[in-house]
Amino acid sequence: MIELPLGLIITSVLGAILAGFVCSTMGTFVVRMDLSGIGYCMSHAAFAGAAFGLMISIDPMLGALLFSFITAFALGPIAEKAKLESNIVIGFLFSLMIALAFIFLNYVPGQSASAKALRILWGSILSVNASDVLLLALLSFVLVLFVVVFYKELSSVMFHRKMAEASGINTKIFYFAVLFFTGLAVSLSLRIVGGLLVFALIINPTSTAYQFFFDFKKIIIFSPVIGVVSCLVGYYLSLISDFPIGASIVIVSALVFAVAIIVSPKRKKVK
Amino acid sequence: MNKKIIELKNINTIYEGEKIPVIKNIDLSVGSGEFICIIGPNGAGKTTLLETINGLLSYTGGKGYVFGKEISKNKTFIRKKTGFLIQNFEIDPLAPFLCRDVVMMGLTGKTGLFRFHTKKDWEKVWYSMGLVGMIDFANRPVGKLSGGEFQKILMARVLIQQPKILLLDEPFSNLDYSSRHQIETLLNRLHEKYNLTILMVSHDLSFIPERCNRIVVIDKGRIIMDGEKQHVLESEEVKNILKKGDKK
Repeated sequence: MIELPLGLIITSVLGAILAGFVCSTMGTFVVRMDLSGIGYCMSHAAFAGAAFGLMISIDPMLGALLFSFITAFALGPIAEKAKLESNIVIGFLFSLMIALAFIFLNYVPGQSASAKALRILWGSILSVNASDVLLLALLSFVLVLFVVVFYKELSSVMFHRKMAEASGINTKIFYFAVLFFTGLAVSLSLRIVGGLLVFALIINPTSTAYQFFFDFKKIIIFSPVIGVVSCLVGYYLSLISDFPIGASIVIVSALVFAVAIIVSPKRKKVK
Repeated sequence: MNKKIIELKNINTIYEGEKIPVIKNIDLSVGSGEFICIIGPNGAGKTTLLETINGLLSYTGGKGYVFGKEISKNKTFIRKKTGFLIQNFEIDPLAPFLCRDVVMMGLTGKTGLFRFHTKKDWEKVWYSMGLVGMIDFANRPVGKLSGGEFQKILMARVLIQQPKILLLDEPFSNLDYSSRHQIETLLNRLHEKYNLTILMVSHDLSFIPERCNRIVVIDKGRIIMDGEKQHVLESEEVKNILKKGDKK
């Protein structure tokens, strides 16, 4: 088992808990809206941002956050303006970000700098610092407030957007807000689980909750619970096995999902 | 005619990116408490007309007023006082929503932001579900309902709004004979009791509710005939239009 200083254990455990919480909370909406590609899109936006940061000699994490933030903000309005499914726009932005990342990396001298940008895609919980934890805690608080205060509007939009619009709800604001917060949750979790694996943290806990409940409220409550538990167990698995933290979290959440499929009461026939 | 509650003057509605209007030069005045059926073949523009009245679609020509207010500038106000039953749609069988919650969603727009649903709101849910005979389905997931049962839940969702105007797009689709009869009786009762203004789209002449007093016939985006129920039902022109639609 790896021995770590107590301070590092506290920040990294808090980081894992909060990343699990924000990603799986937004996962509830992502799964319902069928936006599974948003994980790839945001992680490559962060990758492009990190490359950009290296190109102009600033902290690559700052560049990653900036690009993720802009992408998250632009996603909804572009989809609305282009009259296309959000998933199509996600695909468009995903390819654009890869292209930009390659262009930026072309202007970064040396191999080690490129490796720094690539690290954004893999993540490392041990590089988490107090400001990362603070930002994630702030986002968690805002998300709880957002979901509690606007639950009735959000559930209505998630059920059927046109019907919600017809009954007098300004659906566009909520739709954009969900996309924006999802983007933000992904960007802030990148350093912990990495851009490629954050996708699993969004999808797996919600998919697991879907196996047990038909009630949207229960899915919103249990999805983050499953996400947090998966992160903690994954973290522990990483410490005892020396597996990469992101990969351990994904394996645990995938196992939980597999068990949920098997024991799901939704598939049991009433005798 | 009673006080005008809906007034459309020379309305054209064009879908974004298209050049030909779906509804053209529509002039329609609806008095408070009228029960109107809008009939016509598929693709005639019936749904577009309802969506234009509700403000879901923006008109590109003419002027439209609901409750005396211009539709384009007062969409949210109009929607909160108008119940709109959209045409039946497929629901994902795993959709994580219970019937009672779907009915409650009808109140969300009216309740407004920063307010939670109250005990009184839940009483309205039970009442609306009772009206359509679906009280026993309160805790069932909507994805598990049959087409007809789902249609009744959507009807309860509209009724909970206690709207002044009911816009119903094919309310009898997917319903078997007894459910059709049940909803028809309910509409007649609501119209009589609350003097609701009802605009109901249908392509089936055989199910025109008893209290419907006026029929508007639409074909190719234009109003072909607008008159008393009996007069329209006996018109050979109308029969031919609907027959042509059936052949298509």
